[in-house]
Amino acid sequence: MSDLIIKTNKLTKKFGSKRVVNHVDLQVKRGEIYGFLGPNGAGKTTTIRMLLGLARPTKGSIQIFGEDIKKDKISILKKVGSLVEYPSYYGHLTAYENLEAVRILLDAPKSRIDEVLSIVRLTKDAKRPVKGFSLGMKQRLGIATALLGNPELLILDEPTNGLDPSGIIEIRELIKSMPKEHGITIVVSSHLLSEIDQMATQVGIISKVIFQDSISKLRERASSKIKITVNEGESAWKMLLSHGITSDLAQQSIYLENGSDEKVAKVVKSLVDNEYSIYRVEEEKKSLEEIFLELTGKEGGL
Amino acid sequence: MARLLGSELIKIKRKMILFLVFLGPFGVIALEAVNFGVRYDWLTGVYKDDLWKGLIGEVSMLSVPTILIGLTILTSMIANIEHQTNAWKQLLALPISKTKVYSAKFLLTVILLLISCSLLMVGTIILGLALKFGTSIPLVHLFKMCFYPFLAALPILALQIWLAITLKNQAIPLTVGILGTIISMYAVAFPDWVPWKWPLLLNEWGKPIFSVIAGILLGFIIYLVSILDFSRREVK
Ligand SMILES: Nc1ncnc2c1ncn2[C@@H]1O[C@H](COP(=O)(O)OP(=O)(O)O)[C@@H](O)[C@H]1O
Ligand SMILES: [Mg+2]
Repeated sequence: MSDLIIKTNKLTKKFGSKRVVNHVDLQVKRGEIYGFLGPNGAGKTTTIRMLLGLARPTKGSIQIFGEDIKKDKISILKKVGSLVEYPSYYGHLTAYENLEAVRILLDAPKSRIDEVLSIVRLTKDAKRPVKGFSLGMKQRLGIATALLGNPELLILDEPTNGLDPSGIIEIRELIKSMPKEHGITIVVSSHLLSEIDQMATQVGIISKVIFQDSISKLRERASSKIKITVNEGESAWKMLLSHGITSDLAQQSIYLENGSDEKVAKVVKSLVDNEYSIYRVEEEKKSLEEIFLELTGKEGGL
Repeated sequence: MARLLGSELIKIKRKMILFLVFLGPFGVIALEAVNFGVRYDWLTGVYKDDLWKGLIGEVSMLSVPTILIGLTILTSMIANIEHQTNAWKQLLALPISKTKVYSAKFLLTVILLLISCSLLMVGTIILGLALKFGTSIPLVHLFKMCFYPFLAALPILALQIWLAITLKNQAIPLTVGILGTIISMYAVAFPDWVPWKWPLLLNEWGKPIFSVIAGILLGFIIYLVSILDFSRREVK
């Protein structure tokens, strides 16, 4: 069996004439925490609903564990746990009863309920009606429910949305611990880059379509610029241009893209030779946020 | 299916649903107790040929609208358990076919209503004995009058479940159900093909079993169509 847990091919969903998901090719490898990133309305939830067989693709195909979701939905779903958008729960039941109502359906052993309750640290609150839970607790109950069937693949749609900072950290740590401790593959969506940056090992960005690689590759794209501040920026910029060196001018500072050491040395030498005063030579890294904006602002293809 | 029903039974805990199952027949019997208590001499005069038959007839006049309103409320409450926090997306992402999920809800309401019908039968016997109508109880007739109206109401049950499950806004199935109940109270004057007349067990052949057979057949057809519709629908 291939190591690709999820593989979509030109996955497309239209609502009426509106293309909500357009030619998405997801590839999620075993054991990864795949961060599925995109601004609100980009189609993350719609994509996830299609992965779970809750919605039908308009075009394209989905393979999970090498099986086609259209043909083998039930056998795929046996190995998948999910939490879509805000958590689903039965408010009049206790956390334990909520889990029991799902456990029966999965035919999991009764002891599994206590296990998942302790994984999400709800053991103490197991006997309380869920309607009195905080959002964070409900979210944790949702994750516990998703874990009941011992899934090989866990799909979590914005699991930290609406939580306070401590709740966010808690869920994040929980998610990060799972591939290590339980050997499962996780797809986690978010509209926050920082969120994905702190959890994911792989990232796929969805908007008008885009980028799919390891988080470190994304960071590499955070290419640096060299910023040189001199006394007369504009005239220095023109001087450099006349010497065949292209640079950018902004706020009287000179910017060099992808400045190699030699190029920087050459520029500095020209500036000194032409008697400009050099105040500062700095390296400016593009933040992940800038890259994200750049990627999601442009058209492209995932 | 046993597991699905087990899960459904957990979910209806603390929802007043079991209370309603009991309240329906209890209410009917209580009203009849008052009816016979207040007008004892007059009613025993009217039904002096067969006191039990008289009692059963009075009971079934109340039980038909009670069954119809009861199944409307019951189906809506059971569907609403999933609608409230949109638990459908959790339930239907489990490895169970949508057909089974839907059928389990259908079966659950049928079982609950059969319990109500049984309670109605037991309640009628207790009331009759308390009214000193003797022990020659016409059990077959009683059985028919407790269960036939429900079986003849299966198309209405199937319709109400369909509406309650597929529409998030429960005002619609509730309105349809209440209107249906009112219609059934005046349905004596309607043509035989109107399903809301069937629970009254009246037809031009004078054979209650015809209404029951029609009810089971049309109920099954609506159930099949609604399953197709439910399986086709996307889950929000
Ligand atoms: N059932 C639907 N009918 C019509 N439009 C929808 C439906 N579901 C989602 N959309 C639209 O699809 C777009 C993507 O939604 P969604 O997948 O929820 O995005 P995300 O989860 O990335 O925020 C939104 O513009 C939303 O309004
Ligand atoms: Mg979303």
